Amino acid sequence: MKVAYYSPLPPSRSGIADYSTLLLPALRERVDVVVAEHGKRAPAADVALYHVGNDPDAHGWIVDALYKRRGVVVLHEYVLHHLVAGITIGRRDGRGYLDAMERELGVAGRLLGLGVLDNLLPLLWETQPERFPLAGAILEHADALIVHSSFVGSKARAAGYHGRIWRIPHPAWPLDHVSPVDDVAGDPLIGCFGYLNMNKRIPELLEAFAAFRRDRPGARLLLVGAAGERFDVQRRLERLGLTEGVTRLDYVPEDGLWALMAACDVLVNLRYPTMGETSGSAIRAMSLGKPLIVSDVGWFHELPDDVVLKVPVDDYEVEVLRAALGVAVEHGGQLGAAARAYAARYHDLGGVADAYVEALEMAAGGEAVADAVLWRIAVAAAEIGVDDPAAVARAARDAGILS
Amino acid sequence: MRVVVAAPQVPFVRGGAELMAEDLVAALRARGHDAEIVSIPFKWYPGTRVLDQALLWRLVDLTESDGRPIDRVIATKFPAYCVRHPDKVAWVLHQFRQAYDYDRTELGQFDDTPEDRATRRAIERLDAVALGEARKVYATSRNVADRLQRFNGIEAEVLPHPPQSLPYREAEPEGYVLSVNRLDRAKRIDLLVGAAKRDPSLRVVIAGEGPDRERLERLATGLNGQVTFVGRVDEERLADLYARCLAVYYAPVDEDFGMVPYEAFLSAKPVVTAVDAGGPLEVVHDHRTGAVVQPDAAAVAQACAYLATHVDEAKAWGRAGRELAERVTWDACVDALLS
Repeated sequence: MKVAYYSPLPPSRSGIADYSTLLLPALRERVDVVVAEHGKRAPAADVALYHVGNDPDAHGWIVDALYKRRGVVVLHEYVLHHLVAGITIGRRDGRGYLDAMERELGVAGRLLGLGVLDNLLPLLWETQPERFPLAGAILEHADALIVHSSFVGSKARAAGYHGRIWRIPHPAWPLDHVSPVDDVAGDPLIGCFGYLNMNKRIPELLEAFAAFRRDRPGARLLLVGAAGERFDVQRRLERLGLTEGVTRLDYVPEDGLWALMAACDVLVNLRYPTMGETSGSAIRAMSLGKPLIVSDVGWFHELPDDVVLKVPVDDYEVEVLRAALGVAVEHGGQLGAAARAYAARYHDLGGVADAYVEALEMAAGGEAVADAVLWRIAVAAAEIGVDDPAAVARAARDAGILS
Repeated sequence: MRVVVAAPQVPFVRGGAELMAEDLVAALRARGHDAEIVSIPFKWYPGTRVLDQALLWRLVDLTESDGRPIDRVIATKFPAYCVRHPDKVAWVLHQFRQAYDYDRTELGQFDDTPEDRATRRAIERLDAVALGEARKVYATSRNVADRLQRFNGIEAEVLPHPPQSLPYREAEPEGYVLSVNRLDRAKRIDLLVGAAKRDPSLRVVIAGEGPDRERLERLATGLNGQVTFVGRVDEERLADLYARCLAVYYAPVDEDFGMVPYEAFLSAKPVVTAVDAGGPLEVVHDHRTGAVVQPDAAAVAQACAYLATHVDEAKAWGRAGRELAERVTWDACVDALLS
């Protein structure tokens, strides 16, 4: 069985490119995979697998391919407004954007879209994308969905998706031994990896860290990742008197990333609002056996309570986060061991690849199997006077013979 | 209790599974239960037909019979364990191995087409549903239990069953090595014939019938009567062959369970088997109850020669095996299955 695999890959810096770099070899051990390339002819295959994320530069061509041929969609996040805006407005197809908004919200959506096109409203994908996810067209073209969290699966169901949904965890990176860097130190060293913006709750983290550092003056915060537009990290650090206690690094290559994470005593990965995404950075932290603090939302909420410390996003967020930093430092060994065990058990790469193959095999051949069996059942049923094929199909599924 | 033993039946084929089901019913009746075998003919090919068979079992209503409730169903094999019953116990002899460990081997049934792959998945899913419904899952060997765990994540308790009831006895060995098995390539009786070729002093008696007989007879040509094919024999004759042999050869490829070692042991005979024989390795321990060798004719010849020159040791190993076999009783099986 051959699988056509659509995904951004390095040198793309997207998290999904990293994801596919990790998954592809394991998948290739189990099934024949041909990787589709941007700008080239779609490969012939029994089933197509499309990785869909919110970045139009990385995923626009993949969605184009999906619209031409249905297949299994890996929905890495549920909110796709930025993607849809990019492949419509970004290609001078304002009508396409209006159609997408109307599909989601009816006439009101179309009017909102017009407001955006006419610059009467702020860009919705920047200000409140979670209110308008715009995943409808993707769902319409998906024979089956693969999601990493119940959060995304339930959003798809709530949007009326009737196809099969497979929940397959984000795989963990297999690790032998990672040597920590020795040129960044703190007592303790707190790490936060990823794009720095409001959505990652960086202001709240800085505020909590400033309070934490008053009790632990040796503490250092390591911020790794580029800052978002209009997000002035330096000014915030100065305002909080943190210029001495924070180390900032922009893009760091893969090896360096691991070594930096390994040097940290605690890792923090906050999020709000969530687009339903899974965090590769959080998976890395757990694989390394680091105590991890997350926001109590979306996929992060589904992590077991004894594996990560969850901070609710509410009026007490900063105070709770400051306390969580203390707890994570004090019980780091225990939390880290639980996180490592969880990542090894639940995010095992082999198990993830097996689950992918199952989903792909069922998507490719399940319908033919169902047709063959149902045909024989229907013939036999008709011969004894039961000639409603739909009822027969329902009964076969209820009996557990077909999915 | 009214107990149904649900077991599929391949028409015109009779083997260990059929014997086991019959013996179970006899054991249940001996304990005062009302017991009966319920069977449906099994044909597992081509392609998706195997799912039709599961559907047949799924449609069977075994909750009551003639207006009286059936208290328990004991199902032994795929697809019989797909039957629905509120008090179903699965006592798994084996799953549909073509969908699991045989897949993508020469013993497999499904190729790489999407339809075949999806059919295999449907069986995997059916097993999860059907065995998941059971109040308890037993496996007849650690080998079968391990496969259930490995492929389906299903925990099964190991519950071996006694071999067929024969007038087992111990007699002075007469020097021949006995093979009791269906004559089938996967049973690797050719290794024993090959051993006879290497060792002119080795005498072999082969009991059983099967599609590999002609080939085996050809292999044995020119061995001057060293190898004797006795075909299918009655119970008395079989017990006699066991009683008088030096040792029993039993080295199939990854067997689920294998009753033959138990039969050999109840006759106080050691067993020669192979390191990859599967279930038999749970009771055949090297130099304690038999010889465990590499699956090649030279190693089999060497093991047989050792036993021929160490007859007292062979007897001791056989008797040690008997102690193991005598611990496996139908009473214990019935207690577990009805608990």
